[in-house]
Amino acid sequence: MARREEEVPTLAPALAPERAVTWPKRTRARLANGLEVVLAEAHSIPKFHGELYFRAGNALVVDRAPSLAEMTATVVRTGTAKHASRQIEEDLRRLGADLGTSAGQDTSEISFAGLSEFAEPLLQLVNELGREASFPDAEFERERRQKLEEVKLERTSPGFLAGERLRKVLFGAHPYAQVSPSEAQVAAYQHEDLQSVYREIYTPENALLMLVGDFDPQALLKTIEKVFGDWTGKKPAAKETAAPPKPRGRQVYLVHNPGSVQTQILAGCHAITRNHPDWLRLGLANSLYGGAFNSRLVMNIREDKGYTYSPRSGVMPLRQYGYFSVSAAVRNDVVAASLTEIFYELDRLRSLPVPATELADAQNYLTGVFSMGLATQEGLLSQFSTVELNELPADYLETYRDKIRAVTAEDVLATARKYFDSANMQIVVVGDRAQIEEQATLFGEVEVYDNQGKRME
Amino acid sequence: MTRLQIPLQSATLKNGLRVVIAPDATAPVVTIGVYYKIGFRLEPRGRSGFAHLFEHMMFQGSENAPKMQHIKLINSSGGLLNGSTMYDVTNYYEAVPSNALERVLWLEADRMRALKVDEENLRNQRDVVKEEVRVNVLNQPYGGFPWLDMPPVAFRNWANAHNFYGDFADLDAASLADVQKFFRTYYVPNNAVLLLLGDVKLEEGFAPAEKYFAPIPAGAAPPFADTKEPPQKEERKGNVEEKFGTLPALAIGYVLPARRTPEWFAMALLDQALHGGRAGRIYRELVLEKQIAVEADGGIEDLFGYNGPTQMTTRILHKPEYSAEATLAAFDTVIHEVQEKDISEDELQQLKVKWRSDYYSTLEAGRGGYMPHYGLMHLLACFTLFDNEPQLVNTILEGFLEVKREEIRSAAQKYLRPENRAIVFRTPVKSNAKEAA
Repeated sequence: MARREEEVPTLAPALAPERAVTWPKRTRARLANGLEVVLAEAHSIPKFHGELYFRAGNALVVDRAPSLAEMTATVVRTGTAKHASRQIEEDLRRLGADLGTSAGQDTSEISFAGLSEFAEPLLQLVNELGREASFPDAEFERERRQKLEEVKLERTSPGFLAGERLRKVLFGAHPYAQVSPSEAQVAAYQHEDLQSVYREIYTPENALLMLVGDFDPQALLKTIEKVFGDWTGKKPAAKETAAPPKPRGRQVYLVHNPGSVQTQILAGCHAITRNHPDWLRLGLANSLYGGAFNSRLVMNIREDKGYTYSPRSGVMPLRQYGYFSVSAAVRNDVVAASLTEIFYELDRLRSLPVPATELADAQNYLTGVFSMGLATQEGLLSQFSTVELNELPADYLETYRDKIRAVTAEDVLATARKYFDSANMQIVVVGDRAQIEEQATLFGEVEVYDNQGKRME
Repeated sequence: MTRLQIPLQSATLKNGLRVVIAPDATAPVVTIGVYYKIGFRLEPRGRSGFAHLFEHMMFQGSENAPKMQHIKLINSSGGLLNGSTMYDVTNYYEAVPSNALERVLWLEADRMRALKVDEENLRNQRDVVKEEVRVNVLNQPYGGFPWLDMPPVAFRNWANAHNFYGDFADLDAASLADVQKFFRTYYVPNNAVLLLLGDVKLEEGFAPAEKYFAPIPAGAAPPFADTKEPPQKEERKGNVEEKFGTLPALAIGYVLPARRTPEWFAMALLDQALHGGRAGRIYRELVLEKQIAVEADGGIEDLFGYNGPTQMTTRILHKPEYSAEATLAAFDTVIHEVQEKDISEDELQQLKVKWRSDYYSTLEAGRGGYMPHYGLMHLLACFTLFDNEPQLVNTILEGFLEVKREEIRSAAQKYLRPENRAIVFRTPVKSNAKEAA
């Protein structure tokens, strides 16, 4: 792939020749019970990092209650047929291990890391949590009570309120619109619901076990077969959900957060998923727009105008749909000014081809940062997980850099036109209504909500 | 038991700049750090928040890399960069593909030699910093709790007790002359350490370090104000209003022993016993068993990274139906237990294994995994600037693994006393949620 020489109009030393970027080999296996296993060596420290993924999460069971898979994951670690909560936590410490259980829209997972010398006992504990969680009554009641306080608390965070509203606006009746339960919904969680979610989702046929670290893959594979081999269970039935309609026209959603001394802006539109052929091109366009420190949006509203500390944009790829969004927490008196610049920069990328030097800079940025993942076990695990969970081509990591470098200015222009849908962006502003409503009306019809999610007049 | 040994070498240039190199060819990525021995504590009086504002100014331009060039050159080399201001040090760091090493050294040397900023840059970054304070503190539930709330309650010496993010009036008062003076005083090579970690061989690192940094003249040895605290004789308490959050909160901070004393090693393991996640005694008692608290976490925030009075701090958000007094009483039960009874040999072994495991993770990444070698960089910098002994990174673990049960108990008795602690109550104003509904 021909690579443009950079133009650096300074005394800065030129870059030395690139060194080879080599991704570790992955060892793959599928156990007789359907459990997929991916292993990769990384000997930076005498530890290993792992994930046991189940390919279903909150979206699959949203009809029963929002965030039910997440609640299930929370209670999974609190007891098994063999061990009570306290014993589990002490055993983890004894193995030098960290462990977390969680669920998102599309997956549930047990993540863990520990010392290589204790790999087998840690895998046994993960196995036990994956198949023998006992959902003790008292633990469930405590976690539910905790959750009640958490859902009250999250409604005081501007970032949460903005994200929640945007998801509702973009996804409507689709499960992805539900990011968190109400207090009443938490109060209505049933013990049996958690157990049935666990039975449906936590099965070997629905699972992917990924391990990266300081181990011998062949020996570890034998251990895995021994530990997980006799587990049984089928995939849950897939669920059909109607596609969410894409909102047309700009509209503004103001979430009134009394006493705010700053306004959280979050604007977004539908985009694409991780395995879409335009993904890398959109990643590059996003990097030029607001995905890097050196991007147009950051230069404009932070480094030039000083409106905000932390502007950024990104593409959020859920499994069925992805969306593009841009966010900034800005001074109350520059909400309109910030939105003007946010759209100006979007429209500029849609209207004019990106200059060659700027494109090359962004390509170098993405390809360089991509290699950072190689240096740590967690970084590798995250890159490998992305490939596996999104069913990306086997050579995705190895070919990424060349593909990014092949993107042209015309590609970026076409991609920006297609996905930076500025005319149909949905705009959420979270702040004190009295200070920002007038500015907000400049950008579209305004619907006002309180911080509990209720529509206000 | 496997012990991780980090190969490293250090040298001092003629101008006093320390250079530490730790080669590791795992990935074709090199992490470069420059640490200056100046932090929040020593910023000028009447200029609270200045050390951090100044850190922002270091990204605004130097003689040969005017505004935006620095950031652009790092990003377009495929790298990430940032900086952070801490109590006793300020760091600037980059992770880049290793073919950009020389370019980054040139950039760091340029801003160490000749910061070049103007009024417009200062105005711009003052605005940016105010939005940073709003997004992290003033507009967030429990913003600044307890890291900004605790110092004025716990300490009496202004160096330790002031608002580290800065009062807005002080930020407004900061002038370009202040910037230049601070730069000349503290940002001299003899007050700094340069660190190169990752894909760099020793000779590939020392030669360009010499080339770019040696020509920078040494400065006068910076003045270091006394950060000592007068002896504390009473339990200290303070109240802060919580504007957004729904739950009452409190934080309890105990002043720590001096670094690298035997008591300090014991305190680190005691911290693990108390705050080590869901197995930690505080979380277990307050959240899991008595179910008074919704969150109970904290501990020693940066064990190796402080060089003055610092605390081990517990942060508790509790259920509204329990009073602050009842919550504190439950917390005190946990403290009394470790004072009255040795922890078991089994618990001690668990703590040590976990400590060793955590230590390795710190060395590998330490910052959510995205900045390779961040933790190793931080430790090497602190061991160089505070202890003049970077090799401690390979030996200090022993000190923690040798701690005995009775040492933990006596550290608890000596340091976890009411006269050595401060408590901040962060109490929600009348439910704003209901007003809005």
